[in-house]
Amino acid sequence: MSQLLQIENFTLGFPGRPPLLDSVSLHVNDGEAVALVGESGSGKSLTTRAALGLLPDGSQSSGRVSVRGLDTLTATGKQLMELRRRHASMIFQDPRAGINPVRTVGDFLTETLVRLDGLSRAEATERAVTQLEQVGLRRAKELMEQHPHQLSGGMLQRVMIAAALLNSPDLLLCDEPTTALDVTTQAGIVRLLRDEQQSRGMGMLFITHDLNLAASLCERVYVLRRGEVVEHGKTQTVFLTPEQDYTRQLVEATPAIEVGGLAAPVVAGPPLLKISGLSKTYQLPRGEIITALDDAGFSLPEGGSLGIVGESGSGKSTLARLVVALETATSGELLLRNLPRPNRALKASERKVLAKDVQIVFQDPYLSLDPRIPVGNAVADVFRLHQKQGRKEAKDSARALLGRVGIGQERFDARPRALSGGQRQRVALAKALAARPRLLVLDEATSALDVSVQAQVLELVEELRDQLGLTILFVTHDLAVVSRLCSELLVMHQGRIVEQGPTARILEDPGDDYTRNLIASRPRPLWDAEPVTA
Amino acid sequence: MTLAIRLPQAGLRRYGSLLSPMAWGALAVAAAVVLLSLFAPVLAPYDPDYVDLNNVLAGPSGQHLLGTDALGRDLLSRLMHGGRTSLLGPTVVVIGSTVLGLLLGLVAGWSEGWLGKVLGRLFDLLFAFPALLMAMLAIALFGKGLLAPILAMTIAYVPYVARLAQSLVVAERGRPYVQAYRVLGFRTPWVVLGRVLPNLIPTVGAQSTLNFGYVLADLAALSFIGLGVQPPTSDWGAMIEESRGALLGGYILPAFWPALVVVLVVVAVNVIGEELSDRIGGKLS
Amino acid sequence: MTATDQVQATTAPGTPTRQRDKRSAVQPAVYIVKKLLALVLTLFVASLAVFFSRFLVPGDPARFLLRGRSPKPEALEEITRQFGLDKPAWEQYLNWLGGILQGDWGRSLTYRQDVSDVLLGRLPTTLQLVALAAVFITVLGLFAGIAASLNKGFGDRFILITLTAAGAVPPFVAAIALVALFSVGLGWFPSFGSGDGGWDRIWHLTLPALALGITYIAMVARVTRSSMNEQLLREHVEVATSRGLTRGSVVARHVLRNALGPILTVSGVLVAGLLVSSAIIERTFGLSGIGQLLVQSIDRLDFGVVQAIVMVVVAAFVLVNTVVDLIQPLIDPRIAAGTESR
Repeated sequence: MSQLLQIENFTLGFPGRPPLLDSVSLHVNDGEAVALVGESGSGKSLTTRAALGLLPDGSQSSGRVSVRGLDTLTATGKQLMELRRRHASMIFQDPRAGINPVRTVGDFLTETLVRLDGLSRAEATERAVTQLEQVGLRRAKELMEQHPHQLSGGMLQRVMIAAALLNSPDLLLCDEPTTALDVTTQAGIVRLLRDEQQSRGMGMLFITHDLNLAASLCERVYVLRRGEVVEHGKTQTVFLTPEQDYTRQLVEATPAIEVGGLAAPVVAGPPLLKISGLSKTYQLPRGEIITALDDAGFSLPEGGSLGIVGESGSGKSTLARLVVALETATSGELLLRNLPRPNRALKASERKVLAKDVQIVFQDPYLSLDPRIPVGNAVADVFRLHQKQGRKEAKDSARALLGRVGIGQERFDARPRALSGGQRQRVALAKALAARPRLLVLDEATSALDVSVQAQVLELVEELRDQLGLTILFVTHDLAVVSRLCSELLVMHQGRIVEQGPTARILEDPGDDYTRNLIASRPRPLWDAEPVTA
Repeated sequence: MTLAIRLPQAGLRRYGSLLSPMAWGALAVAAAVVLLSLFAPVLAPYDPDYVDLNNVLAGPSGQHLLGTDALGRDLLSRLMHGGRTSLLGPTVVVIGSTVLGLLLGLVAGWSEGWLGKVLGRLFDLLFAFPALLMAMLAIALFGKGLLAPILAMTIAYVPYVARLAQSLVVAERGRPYVQAYRVLGFRTPWVVLGRVLPNLIPTVGAQSTLNFGYVLADLAALSFIGLGVQPPTSDWGAMIEESRGALLGGYILPAFWPALVVVLVVVAVNVIGEELSDRIGGKLS
Repeated sequence: MTATDQVQATTAPGTPTRQRDKRSAVQPAVYIVKKLLALVLTLFVASLAVFFSRFLVPGDPARFLLRGRSPKPEALEEITRQFGLDKPAWEQYLNWLGGILQGDWGRSLTYRQDVSDVLLGRLPTTLQLVALAAVFITVLGLFAGIAASLNKGFGDRFILITLTAAGAVPPFVAAIALVALFSVGLGWFPSFGSGDGGWDRIWHLTLPALALGITYIAMVARVTRSSMNEQLLREHVEVATSRGLTRGSVVARHVLRNALGPILTVSGVLVAGLLVSSAIIERTFGLSGIGQLLVQSIDRLDFGVVQAIVMVVVAAFVLVNTVVDLIQPLIDPRIAAGTESR
């Protein structure tokens, strides 16, 4: 019997370098949903693309990658085009990058129908509209005339799915199709994919770095690590009783909401940070006024830990930037150590004083360090500025602090480029701590990291918090991360705080519809009795 | 993004292949031309202005390596001496426009308010005055020679540097690392001059290197049409102009050598500039 | 795409919730009006710069304008009257500007004619030369750029090296080389004059247009190549390929189409350089166009004509670039919406 997708001993690499994929074997049957899970650099995208014959220029490959019996490694261009048109479709990660921004949505959808299937423009449009409606988009006719920049990310991903389904493919390849989306949007897309896959009896290969997501969608799973399949089997078996160490680590590192296992102490004391009625509005060049933050209020005691959770556009980053004075509030009060923050840009001297109270670590490990400055010097600079240390002394302090966050002596003179993402975030942490702040703001500080690295960095933050008595303000989109690190929680939606209170209480018994939706949107394994509802 | 896979290169190899063979060649050519011109008074075999009417339009020989021109002057010596004038102009223009452009670009990029906007408009306006036109206007005002066009071209090339610097600064300003400096309490001048400026220099340097080639060509063109350096001073452009008569008579060499040198230098400079900007492009991504 | 980019896309700082703009119908009009206002403003400031440049020269303006001519009292008087030198500077400027707007561009000292007549007589030659050069630039530049971008490896390297060499040949050197080869050597093309109308004109203008265009061909080809290469790496191109479209469709509809914006922008900027370089080419080939006139007028110290020509070139540049700006939104709809900052 012919399997829908069969990959055997597939090896891919560039001449003179270690292979990117090493003897990968996997298969997908008709009507089956299979996940391919791995961290960045594991080769999951390469594997999937090979199924469509999309190989990187100048690469060498061996083995077999066959779809419906056609080996894409040896197929002719014509055969590959036929395969892509009739049998296999792919949904890409970022719909905003994946749909030509200068053409209309309608053009994108009807392009293949008109050029390849010979439909008239009217017929093609009709089919596209029907397909758009089927994937849950309203006003489909209007959408056809619009350009991608006029649609939201979630809508665009539905357009992408509609385009993939237009060909009625036997095999649907999904490359992290929800990674660029918010959790609540992701839930809708996942449901749509599952429904379509089931009702059409398609085979699906779903690539993701998120184990929970894989479990919520796929019966079988392959775990990929550095170009090799380390483990495969039924999703439930692999995730609940992993055989390989790597899989076990991965499962353990994957953040889950742990209401019981909260490590953060609950503190009640005088407030270190107190905010009331804080608002921030921007005026666009066209005169439009945007409210990024609307009447926010909370207080954070010395030594406490507060998580701020929200999706994109919720105002959580604006709030973080207000706290560290990178933005100036339009109105409202912000008291740090009972000192009111002026509603104007700070003077250099004020900023220097403030620096000893509050520091921030940003999201992007690749941009948050100066590319030219060796990491040791970067940290030493802060010691010289704030602790009035001499060159030599500052270097020693920097060395000690970097060692404390897990950056060894040998990396002292390394440029950021030579460090991994996790190491860079450690350096960023050390830089912030060198000013000896009381309050540390973490703005999605672990979101860009692989789960295993994220787990290590979170552990470090926990340790530092306990040892240095730091107060933590953790801004994130991920409820699970907060549940582990913060005793207090604050949920934001469209610029407003919708709910705040002890983390455990909110997670167990959310009082607001949006919070409930947010919690319910987290992917649940297929074997979990509770159905996914929104 | 497609399968853009960038494997980290081994540290040593990276430095070993700092420049491609082509760039090394370009560097060698540029260095040779600069040295020969610089030491022309010592190295040149003849007085560049020595007229020998018994030996006009001679081909290359042991006595005159590159031959002689219509007045019997030694072409090699004239090339070497002409190089001093031909290279001096672009050097002044590039240094001047780079310094001014960096300064204005930094200010324009860092100030978020009206100042940045006004400077941006000013750069846009200056783009409408191409360097050669600006130089010609300056000559019309102040008379023929090198000084006026050099000053004018310095101004004309400022927006090329300034615009680039401005856009780079705007990009850097939004980067988390710069914001981290602000939160850490470092003073703005320290951040801008000590940290942001050095990060711009490679990219701006690449642009300025390319500018050198354009300026060289433009100044040579001015001399060629008789608006630049005036006799008896000579540069490569003027040499080509002097040789036009001989050229139409079928004597190619007197025009060929200076043309070749101009093209070689511009190619060399362009290769180096592109190599620089490629290298930076690769580094940032 | 790396994990970094993904998360950044969802939570870029300072991108708060934004209501989808409902006024999209108004935007094109606003965009056009803005661009036209900018055009007028730029022209105004440019005219200030051109006019007041004369005031940079120290000393008596009448003597400056009469350089190289006998400063007889009656001549001084005439020049004072003609330029209104006895009036305050701003009034001189207003008179000059008013004159230009009404077609009175002053009188040429050399030709003893109205500047506008001198210019109009010379204009066709220059326009024909530049137009022919533009054809060469567009056809050869686009072709070389596309060919380089689509033929990775040897083809790309070969074209790139050729372009580097071609881009380094200044127009006047190209002119000399072309004359040496095709006129003196092979005798295929004339080296002088602009010929009579029709094919003879084109025959006469071929070498000048090539000489004028060669640097710009290289520039356009380079931009085309890099702009296409950038698009080729974009995910939407891969998506198009993954849907089974032919290579030709993908390149034409998704790569070249999207690459047009930068190509157009660069072409707009090249216009000014092209007009100025034509001065050198016209002089070399003995074509009596505006460029030749510019050089002669500088030579003969006829400042009124120089001023007029500078203003024409600058105005042409600003106009062309405004047109480019107005076309851009048709190529990329994000520009008018203001979401794509350029």
